[in-house]
Amino acid sequence: MKVEILHRPTNSAAKCILGPNEEVTAEAGAMIAMSADTSITTSTYKKEGGGVLKALKRMLAGESFFLNHFQAGPRGGEVYLATTLLGDMMEFETRGETLIVQAGSYVASEKGVNIDVGWQGFKNLFSGESLFWLKISGQGKFILSSFGMIYPVEVNGAYVVDTGHIVAFEETLNFTIAKSAKGWISSFLSGEGLVCKFEGKGRIYCQSHNPNSFGYKLGPHLRPRR
Amino acid sequence: MIEKEKSDYTYKILFKPDFGFLNVQIPAGKTLKVEASSMASMDTNISMKTKMKGGLSRLLTGESIFINEFTAENGDGEINIAPGSPGDIEHLYLNGDIIYLQGSAFLASGVNVTTESKFQGLIKGFFSGQSMFLIKCSGTGDLWFNSYGGIIEIDVKGDYVVDTGYILAFTEGLNYEVTKVGGYKSLFFSGEGLVCRFQGQGKVWIQTRQIPPFASFLYPFRPVERTND
Repeated sequence: MKVEILHRPTNSAAKCILGPNEEVTAEAGAMIAMSADTSITTSTYKKEGGGVLKALKRMLAGESFFLNHFQAGPRGGEVYLATTLLGDMMEFETRGETLIVQAGSYVASEKGVNIDVGWQGFKNLFSGESLFWLKISGQGKFILSSFGMIYPVEVNGAYVVDTGHIVAFEETLNFTIAKSAKGWISSFLSGEGLVCKFEGKGRIYCQSHNPNSFGYKLGPHLRPRR
Repeated sequence: MIEKEKSDYTYKILFKPDFGFLNVQIPAGKTLKVEASSMASMDTNISMKTKMKGGLSRLLTGESIFINEFTAENGDGEINIAPGSPGDIEHLYLNGDIIYLQGSAFLASGVNVTTESKFQGLIKGFFSGQSMFLIKCSGTGDLWFNSYGGIIEIDVKGDYVVDTGYILAFTEGLNYEVTKVGGYKSLFFSGEGLVCRFQGQGKVWIQTRQIPPFASFLYPFRPVERTND
């Protein structure tokens, strides 16, 4: 798979050029255009994910994460992918390393890349938040997106990132969820809420803007819903 | 044949691709057609006339019904045109060609370009999630259209599939039908819903962002109305 990212950084879209019968997996809803002989199958995060009923059950369980698997025709083809919000995209490649990715940032991956939603690391701490996390491993290229720009941070020691600004981080890092200030009250009053404290050696990819903060900024100016 | 370099005006598309903004020099005595309310600034040589083009059905395309005509009356004039949403602008020169635009994509054109609403048919219109009407642009002259998001041009030779909401424009001669994207499971869970399958030889322009999903993103952040009963 060859990836070209067009219209960076605000209206970025990924053009995935596929060889004959090559496959790419993408987040549900990301496809905007494709060669007509590309076939598409939908599953939950594992391709062997069972039938419609099983998928529905997962959706009701709040574990919905649907993926589309595109397969190019015998002459190869292309698939264009884009996101809802304005922002950048970045191409990554894993050679056996593991990256923890905020689910909303995942766009697409090659066949050799494993996507595991079962990773529970943050789950309990984030109940009530819409963030959930994917564990990406295996071999191959993948594409992540951000709201705003993506900036990498090399950690050697310790580093703190607001949870809404995390795109992905290397699994070599240890992390703890912490209050942003010493006390709970000042933590919440500060508007920072929970932050993630990383320790060790590795890289974090952050996004310049937090989608939820943007939503809360705009929401009060919209007409109330009934 | 559609040309890109040719133009009857001297123009610049500024601030591409995120904040596309169109600057046109109108020679003395010449006129430019501009989507209503898109004029951002102009010099005093230019005077404006509002024309009802395309009749009442333009109301239904989601376009405002008026296209304004800007004429350079007292000498050469300059006009700056800003689309309603940030995004990209594309320019084409029609030599008797026909281009179909999605309802809100028209930005400006030469006077000899005719714009009319074209009913897509109930099935295509209804299921595409877009308006039931397209804007048919024909004649000879410049045409500028705009998007929310970046614009990508696709050469169709044979078949191509585009998610219905991302279609911005396409050339006449392409057949299209609205279909589901995969099996029934894909119809409900793929998030792609229905797609447009183009067939033939021609060009399709797509946009990399759409306004409705952005509005859906914001929906949960809206306040909940209190009921007093």
